[in-house]
Amino acid sequence: MASIDANEVLIDCQSVWKIFGDKAPAAMEAVAKRGLSKKQILQEYNCVVGVSDASIQVRRGEIFCIMGLSGSGKSTLIRLLNRLITPSLGKVLVKGKDLSALDAAGLRQMRAQNIGMVFQSVALLPHRTVLENAAFGLEVQGIAKAERNRTATAALEKVGLGDWLNRYPSELSGGMQQRVGLARAIASDPEIILMDEPFSALDPLIRRQLQDEFRQLTKELGKSAVFITHDLDEAIRIGDRIAIMKDGVIIQVGTAEDIVLNPADQYVADFVAGISRLHLIKAHSVMVPVAEYQRQHPGSDLASLAKTTPEADIDELIGLTMQSDRDGIAVVDKGAAVGVVTAKSLLAGVKGTTTAEQAAAA
Amino acid sequence: MESSAFADTFDAWTDSALEWLSDNGEFLFDLVRAMLEGLYDGILWLLDLPPFFVVAAVLALAGWRLVNAWFGVLTGIALVLCSLLGLWPETVSTLALVMTATSLALLVGLPIGVVAGFLPQLDRLLEPVLDLIQTLPPYIYLLPAIALLGYGPATALIATFVVAMPPAVRLTSLGIRMTPHEFIELGQSVGITRWQMFFKIRLPFAMPSIMAGINQSLMMAFGMVVIAGIVGSGGLGETIYKAIRTLDMARSIDAAIAIVVLTMVLDRITQSAASLGKGGTR
Repeated sequence: MASIDANEVLIDCQSVWKIFGDKAPAAMEAVAKRGLSKKQILQEYNCVVGVSDASIQVRRGEIFCIMGLSGSGKSTLIRLLNRLITPSLGKVLVKGKDLSALDAAGLRQMRAQNIGMVFQSVALLPHRTVLENAAFGLEVQGIAKAERNRTATAALEKVGLGDWLNRYPSELSGGMQQRVGLARAIASDPEIILMDEPFSALDPLIRRQLQDEFRQLTKELGKSAVFITHDLDEAIRIGDRIAIMKDGVIIQVGTAEDIVLNPADQYVADFVAGISRLHLIKAHSVMVPVAEYQRQHPGSDLASLAKTTPEADIDELIGLTMQSDRDGIAVVDKGAAVGVVTAKSLLAGVKGTTTAEQAAAA
Repeated sequence: MESSAFADTFDAWTDSALEWLSDNGEFLFDLVRAMLEGLYDGILWLLDLPPFFVVAAVLALAGWRLVNAWFGVLTGIALVLCSLLGLWPETVSTLALVMTATSLALLVGLPIGVVAGFLPQLDRLLEPVLDLIQTLPPYIYLLPAIALLGYGPATALIATFVVAMPPAVRLTSLGIRMTPHEFIELGQSVGITRWQMFFKIRLPFAMPSIMAGINQSLMMAFGMVVIAGIVGSGGLGETIYKAIRTLDMARSIDAAIAIVVLTMVLDRITQSAASLGKGGTR
């Protein structure tokens, strides 16, 4: 893999709005000038605000989940990212290029080469074989048959469908069809893959399997992905970062940990209430500062404690605590002890009072 | 009576308009007539070229390949029956009429249907026109046609063409409009061009509807071609018309049998071709 600059922003979505309706331009102007609310827009202009002032940055190599319930505008937002929908206001930059500044040919090229898309409905052409479907994106780019078939076959093998090349979509199960959809998206080797609720229609077991495979494959290929879902569990499982959307507005953006442990408002809090915190616990989130530990345990030699990294998860922490006859585990980052996880702090973290305790300690 | 005075005036206008058309457009109508009859004669010549049993065998084979073996055998038997009834030349000329008129109807109807599928305004404009064409009794088309093109196959062809075109326009336009939205999005998301969108996405999805339109056109043409016997179309239609005038019951039934056979054979074969285009390989 070439060196990946994880800070490079591939998609930069700047204060994007989308208003639907016959009088959308007028409504947009009213919002910009008079700051009307969503409700006022509906009443005065009979227009619906789909996405309202959304800004997100998707970095290279990252899986960015957008989570929201139906009607939250998430499907509109993802379509703004490859301009299947044109924004009413605001800019979307992909690899530094403003999508609205591209002409038809430029936009086609951008979509064909840089942005793949996978749909909830899969959208496999029923009169084409699995191989022909996977090669579709390459076919419309005018790539010779032998070459596109080779590339598409390789993509299908990556998703585990190497033996199904000459079958028709109707012969495949739902999960397999979605794999073909994914193969079609990666066959053109885009840097960004847009996933519009791809696994929502699948049964839970297959869904989990595909989630894991998708995450692994994306990381392996070094792709960036924007993943739409209405399922917070799915977002946490797959996403490096998650944006929570409600009524067209992005309420919070952060890692799964940020969102579960520090919900931005009551809406997000209600959402994450049902999520188990256990697998989000990392050493750095349950440790106590070194000074605090030394105050409580005077004379304890920090150097003789078992050591771990700030990213150690709960399994590892429990394992170390069980093995150790001492009363703490030193958390070491870049050679220096940054904190200590004690049995007490670990239990407090499991109970869910981590943040309060850390705040108190700090 | 006032109404009859009005009717007289109106009729006088219509007559003089038609007269004016046929006087001033004589050259044009002669040309149209020559072209239609030339096309018809060409197709008839082609169909007449092979002996009876070859045509019957080809149709039976098509029935077997496209429908099933049973239908193929029935097709063969039914066509032999037509020949035994002594109606083979008439059957062939009816077939030629239908083929000529349907080809013309499709040649005009399919492109119009495609354009109407893309332009809702055109579709709204065409809708009442097509309704009108399909609601009027088909006889109506014969008289103006006879006034302009004279007695003979050309008039029959024009009238049949008019009647056969609407289903092709309608169902093609419907098929083009029916493309599922997610496939349009798929096309856009992979960076498709307009032409690719049409040929690779819209057309395949429209195919079943278009094929149904072709089948419907063919059926309408069969219906009309029989009626057009009145204007000297030749073929089975004229046989029936003559039989009616002489009250020759038996002969009219013979011709009816031949028409039913021909219609059923072509209907089933085109229908099967349509369903083949739906799910099969390409």
